[in-house]
Amino acid sequence: MFFIHDLERTINLHPSFLGPNIANYLKDQLIADVEGTNTGNYYIICVIETTKEPSGRVIPGSGITEYIVPYKALVWKPFKGETLDGVVTSVVQNGCFVEVGPLTCFISRQSIPSDLKFDGNATPPQFTDNAGQIIERGTHIRVKLVGIRTEVGQMFAVATIKEDYLGPLDM
Amino acid sequence: MLIVSPSNLHYPITVTKLLAQPEDNVQRNDKLFTYEYAYQMLQQDENGDDYEVVKILDTDYQCEIKGKLTTWKIAVDDEIKGPGLALVEIEEPCRHEVQFAGMCTICGEDMTEISYNQSTPDTHRASVNMFHGNTALKVSEAEAFRTQDEAMRRLLSKEKLSLVVDLDQTIIHATVDPTVAEWQNDENSPNHEAVKDVRAFKLTDDGPGVRQECWYYIKLRPGLAEFFEEISKLFECHIYTMGTRAYALHIAQIVDPDRKIFGDRILSRDESGSLQAKKLKRLFPADTKMVVIMDDRADVWEWSANLIRLPAYDFFVGIGDINASFLPKKPDADTPSPKVEKIAETQASDVDEQEVKDTEAAASTNGEHVGGHEHTDSTQQAAGDVSTLEQLVSMGGGDNVEALKEKASKQDEAIAAQLADRPLLQQQKILDAEEEKANQAAADKDQNGEAPDENTSHEAYRYRHNLLKDDDEELIHLEVALRKVHATFYNEYKQQKAGHPGESHLSLLPDIKNIMPAMKERVLRDVNMVFSGIMPLNVDVQMSDRALWAKSFGASVSSDITKRTTHVIATPQRKTSKVRKALRHPNRIKVVTEAWLFNCFTIWRHLDEKPYLIDFGPDQQDVQNGTDTPFGQEQALLSSEDEDSGPTTDADDEGDGAPDVMTGRNPGLRIETGEREEEDEEDLSKYAPNEDEKSPMTPMSGDWKGIDDELREFMGSDYEDSDESDGPEDSEMDEAGETNEQMEQQRDNLENGVHRKSLPVLSGKRKRKRVNHSGRSTDGEDSDASTALSNDGPNLRRPKRKALDRTSSLTNSNLCTEAIRGGSARGDGSDTESLALERAFEQELQELSDQLTEEAGTPRTEPNKENSELLNVEQDEG
Repeated sequence: MFFIHDLERTINLHPSFLGPNIANYLKDQLIADVEGTNTGNYYIICVIETTKEPSGRVIPGSGITEYIVPYKALVWKPFKGETLDGVVTSVVQNGCFVEVGPLTCFISRQSIPSDLKFDGNATPPQFTDNAGQIIERGTHIRVKLVGIRTEVGQMFAVATIKEDYLGPLDM
Repeated sequence: MLIVSPSNLHYPITVTKLLAQPEDNVQRNDKLFTYEYAYQMLQQDENGDDYEVVKILDTDYQCEIKGKLTTWKIAVDDEIKGPGLALVEIEEPCRHEVQFAGMCTICGEDMTEISYNQSTPDTHRASVNMFHGNTALKVSEAEAFRTQDEAMRRLLSKEKLSLVVDLDQTIIHATVDPTVAEWQNDENSPNHEAVKDVRAFKLTDDGPGVRQECWYYIKLRPGLAEFFEEISKLFECHIYTMGTRAYALHIAQIVDPDRKIFGDRILSRDESGSLQAKKLKRLFPADTKMVVIMDDRADVWEWSANLIRLPAYDFFVGIGDINASFLPKKPDADTPSPKVEKIAETQASDVDEQEVKDTEAAASTNGEHVGGHEHTDSTQQAAGDVSTLEQLVSMGGGDNVEALKEKASKQDEAIAAQLADRPLLQQQKILDAEEEKANQAAADKDQNGEAPDENTSHEAYRYRHNLLKDDDEELIHLEVALRKVHATFYNEYKQQKAGHPGESHLSLLPDIKNIMPAMKERVLRDVNMVFSGIMPLNVDVQMSDRALWAKSFGASVSSDITKRTTHVIATPQRKTSKVRKALRHPNRIKVVTEAWLFNCFTIWRHLDEKPYLIDFGPDQQDVQNGTDTPFGQEQALLSSEDEDSGPTTDADDEGDGAPDVMTGRNPGLRIETGEREEEDEEDLSKYAPNEDEKSPMTPMSGDWKGIDDELREFMGSDYEDSDESDGPEDSEMDEAGETNEQMEQQRDNLENGVHRKSLPVLSGKRKRKRVNHSGRSTDGEDSDASTALSNDGPNLRRPKRKALDRTSSLTNSNLCTEAIRGGSARGDGSDTESLALERAFEQELQELSDQLTEEAGTPRTEPNKENSELLNVEQDEG
């Protein structure tokens, strides 16, 4: 699910950046630092705005200036039970991998309706019911998350398509 | 799941009460039953004395999993005597058999959470990693078996087998040397033809290293497309490489743009799980009955019976395997790569100081030069062997992050070195320099004939001097072999199936591990071979790469000639004592080159030895070094144990003169032997730069074979000729006033009977050589002599015939043998020097032979006639 989230980021600036463009420097630095990262709980999709002009503080002894920049960002946090659309990246005998934006999900074969059978002789390998439904590399698919696990900077999910209205999408 | 009594209880225990009934749903840590146990403890009485009491304590047993309780295996008042006894059967809703990144893929539960009373973590339930391209997905053993079972049935239904394909040096050869691109764009480059279909891609590494972008140049093994076209009908192909995933994907894109051959079945080092070895278990955890591997290295597969080993594809000469730092070091850095050997010879015998320095620099920084696939080790090691210990160490280095980083940085270094040093360019430069020389020589020869025609001579040498040759045929033979394996497998399977109708057909499957070795073992079954002059000295022959390979084809390998010996694998360069022994039984023992062995490996047939027989000349005693390349880098490194001291030493007294071979005289590896060495070097530097070291004996295209034969003839004749002309040349030498100490010494040796034969020849040669020089520089002085002698090439045919008719040469040789016996008994010092002389002599011969080759190429009549007359005169004098 997407949220607009108020966040803070500490940025250290070298004294050479202190000048009339300092606000731009800060914003550029902020965007470069945080956009597209995974905090462990959610992904920061994009920085919307910096909410207030920060005031810096010179770190004694080094000359580096420390700014604490408050900002608003669009973040995405997947939830267990959430339904998402993604793209199949690879199909193996035991299931298939789906990418939902930055999140990699795995759909186990047990979570795929039993009429969709694995066909390893096809190139590329696919799950198919021989009646128009095909899951292969590149297929757009709607999944429901059944589990999420986060590690530092990484997020994994397990999904299912064994429910109504889930599965390959007609594009 | 059956719960058994855990090991950490105070046995025996007695069940007192069951707290759950069958059909109950229990949660983790729910109490299942209570029990009592006896506990002996120390107590103190009022006096402070210890006494033991036995107390009966009671406690409860908590369930470690959740699920539905199905049956009790115990009852109230049962005594449980020890661990491992059945307690209760609980049916789990989910067995967590497939886990993705620490989650069960079915129930989505986090498997990494550990509770205090769990006997094993849940993550251990699925520990088998069997998928390409992903390490996060793991399955339990049972699931792995099921999965593979299914896969095998699928393959059977399509009548296919699995083929695991290695990339580097097996189906492709990669380099980052930008020289390739230059050659590709330069149509005039001698290598243009060979590199024009080289594919390139840019790889961006996001590692922490400095390397950002790098162009990789990929040469496909010839016939690759056709090979896979055919083979993919019979085999399901997998890529298993030690390159990175990005690299593997790029290669797959080149080899298989439609993704029809490999699909997603690509396993790279990112997912391999082991940085040292390749394991079939990684992809086929259950069984490997239907798997064939093709790779250029057998050690990484631990000589698996599923392996078909290909000779390494070495197109970019001297580059080696760019991903080799991720594998244990090559046990013999000597796997068959005729091209590398050729280059090694070229470089080693090219004693032009500057060039040697260049190559040495390239070798030491590049580290993976001539035969070496080691990246950072010294050149000495690069060309030599790798100790078992070292291999163990590198293996033990383990699968940790640091090792990975270290290796990655090693590879980065190697790649950077390759980018900076451009080993290909260096080597081509050397070849060019040679070419230059050859042209020079040709031009010199032309001077009394027509005007030198730069263009034609350039054309003539173009083929000869391109570094890269596109002449690999392994895949054609491999396809045949694979077809055979496939056919044998399915024939056997069908027979089995016909014999046992109705049975589950997977149990009837024949095993590739039996079929293929059986097929291979037939190839060289009746061969008992001895290697001579091929292995490095300190290598255990039985465990060496070649021997293991040969054994996998059914041959037996002995360390010395025995009654059962049928083949001696030798090099034409050196006639070792083993070869000598073997030559005494010409009917039983065949002395062949390594090429025979490797071609047998390739074609899976016991090939006719005839084309590979090494011809050491008609007279075993005499024509020792007359045949081939003077001394290659290899030579110094090879076993000296069985190397004779002199050209004519009899095999029986080999022990006498052995040490002199240690004075390895190649630029890369030098062993100090004291002052003698310096003298030797002097000698060498006099002769070497003018030598054209292109070996006429190295296996080349058919066109050269004729020339080779002719050449061999010339060599013989030349030798005889020199022999005959001993007398006059000696006197000539005196006239020329050769009075420096060195010469004196040589002649001392000579008089003492060391190499009585070769020495005078040499001194004669020296003389002649000088004359040659002056002739070339067209100083005018000595010019009559030079015209007489500089072109003594093809005319030697006649003298040879003459010489053969005469008996004198034979008596000479006998005398000579006597002389050598005396000489080698005398001591080592003179031996060292005599060896130098001998080498110089070889070089002379070589040079001559090269001139001959050139002349054979360009018809010239006029000057020859003159020369031949002159020569005849000389002959008659002799």
